[in-house]
Amino acid sequence: MMRLNIGTIGNVVVRYRLLVMLAAVAVFGGWTLDDFLTLTTLQSILDRAAVVGFLALGLTPILIAGQIDLSIGSIMSLAAYATIALQPDLGNVPAAFIGLGVGILAGVVNALAVVVFKVTSLVATLATLLIGASLALLISNGQPASSADPLFGLFLTDNFLAILTPRSVLFIGAALLMFVWLKGTPSGRNLYAVGSSMPAAISAGINVNGYIAGVFVLSGFCAGAAGVIQALSSATGSPIAGSVLLIPAITAVVIGGTRLEGGRGSSLATLGGVVALGALTTLSEYNGVPSYTQAVYTGLILILLITLDRIAGGDEGKTTRTLRSAAVAKQTQQGGTS
Amino acid sequence: MTIRRNFLIGAALSALAVAVAGPAAAASVEGKSICYITAANSHFYVTPTNEGAQAAADAAGVELTIVSEEFSPQTGADQLNSCVSRKVDGILLWPLDANSYLPGLLKAKQAGIPVVAIDTTAGEESMKLIASFVGADKYGQGQISAKQMGEALGGEGDIIILAGQAGNNTTIMRTDGFLADKPDGINVLATVNADFDQQKALVASRDLITKFGDQIDGVYAEDDAMAAGFLQALEESGLDIKPVVLGIGGMKMAFDAINAGQMSSTIMQPPFENGRLAIETLTKVMAGETVDAVVPLENTVVTKDNIGDYEPAF
Repeated sequence: MMRLNIGTIGNVVVRYRLLVMLAAVAVFGGWTLDDFLTLTTLQSILDRAAVVGFLALGLTPILIAGQIDLSIGSIMSLAAYATIALQPDLGNVPAAFIGLGVGILAGVVNALAVVVFKVTSLVATLATLLIGASLALLISNGQPASSADPLFGLFLTDNFLAILTPRSVLFIGAALLMFVWLKGTPSGRNLYAVGSSMPAAISAGINVNGYIAGVFVLSGFCAGAAGVIQALSSATGSPIAGSVLLIPAITAVVIGGTRLEGGRGSSLATLGGVVALGALTTLSEYNGVPSYTQAVYTGLILILLITLDRIAGGDEGKTTRTLRSAAVAKQTQQGGTS
Repeated sequence: MTIRRNFLIGAALSALAVAVAGPAAAASVEGKSICYITAANSHFYVTPTNEGAQAAADAAGVELTIVSEEFSPQTGADQLNSCVSRKVDGILLWPLDANSYLPGLLKAKQAGIPVVAIDTTAGEESMKLIASFVGADKYGQGQISAKQMGEALGGEGDIIILAGQAGNNTTIMRTDGFLADKPDGINVLATVNADFDQQKALVASRDLITKFGDQIDGVYAEDDAMAAGFLQALEESGLDIKPVVLGIGGMKMAFDAINAGQMSSTIMQPPFENGRLAIETLTKVMAGETVDAVVPLENTVVTKDNIGDYEPAF
């Protein structure tokens, strides 16, 4: 059924929002700057996307499950500090693993608070955001730790295949892996059912608590990875490394099209959102736009996209998706028991 | 693609020219591009510095792109990388910590892009990759303040120190310089971190005045804003003491306080001048001239005797 109205046009714009944004950035960049459309610009954008990208990736399943994790920035700060501060005692590589462990541990704490103690994720992770941020400052005495071996992590930002760097490869690889999990496996599809309608998911026999606990641990791990990568590539463990990245991460996920209300989203959309936002930032910087003005643009784009999303009748899509997910979940469940 | 290749060759050749030709080929920098990674866009000290840099860039005919770290070295490190990717002809960097800029500095070195640091120095490894540092000698400011304090108090007395943020390089320099040259007869009652913030200095000074009262013979404030905070607290307390108050910066409020006899002296650290000098130094490096590793701003002490000769620095 072709219905040509504002809804359908909006739908097209919303569906291809990232391409529209990237095309707009490319056209405007090419028009205003001589040397914008080069491979090195692309490399720089992808490289910058890596750290905030890991935060946004961790957040994607959280939002799909209808939850929120505000503590990712604080977790990242703790992990970043641990990665550098423990280097003299443990060695460079073990310290990095401790950094990842810190992330997982913080994720477990969030999972316990939400699943076992039944605290709303907004409140629970607001609490861990505050605790984590203060803890990082307390342990570090407010001082960033400088690595005694500053050259160790520098390879992360080296050139790789013209448009990549090792850390952007890690990010893109993680996004693809997550895409396969979310779209290609029963457990991934069940997650959409959990986020779309929890009662439906429960009645379909999905272990809702298990899924919710799982995504918080995953989010903690991703925030830990962001911290480790950030710390190693800058040879500095800053106790405030992640404090400014929570909002950009949420913005990137939402621009990508993952819904705060749950039940909809994709890690590739998040990848696109992070890159689109990064491209916009780079374009603004190349043009010398002050940072506070950039924030205004980002806010306007957010409002525009969400409004288009509503006009395009996203709710209709959500309903069918919910039904489909629940149906898939039921099949999986039956398949599992028979 | 051809355009891009030509551009690359051009960049490589100009890098080579800088490396090989040295001072003999002092070329014009007109039309070249500079990326200035500044600490902030809107800040009472940083903004006039940026204006100074812009003025010097306009005068030299170079294209200046200003990007702001918003006081986050992580942001700054990313911006440094992207400035290198742009293949600008020179980079002016305001370092906010010791190591964060290393990857970008190494890339700049590889690309043959000269980097000059402004206002603050970075870590040892980083400074090896930086052509020149342009800023005030902050250790020297501490030493000068110690001398001023010693003279004003006749070599003996109890003082308090209002310091900047803990761990901040400027704080460390100004404190260490002061303590190194402080006469033995001068006793530090307390050192408080008031973060270069007038309001925080006001709150901290209230406590210090309550605690030490007329014991306080002198106050070493590591910037004028904190000195103003102390003076405000002193006025509130109604206490009839007249300690020697020293500041740093040369702000208008310090000039007013010196004229009113409330403050003893300040040290000029003109931000506009710093920005201008930094761009001039960078353009010299870009033109292949040799520059000093450190280009200091002159530390001028302003007291009631010579205040008529100067305008407030900002």
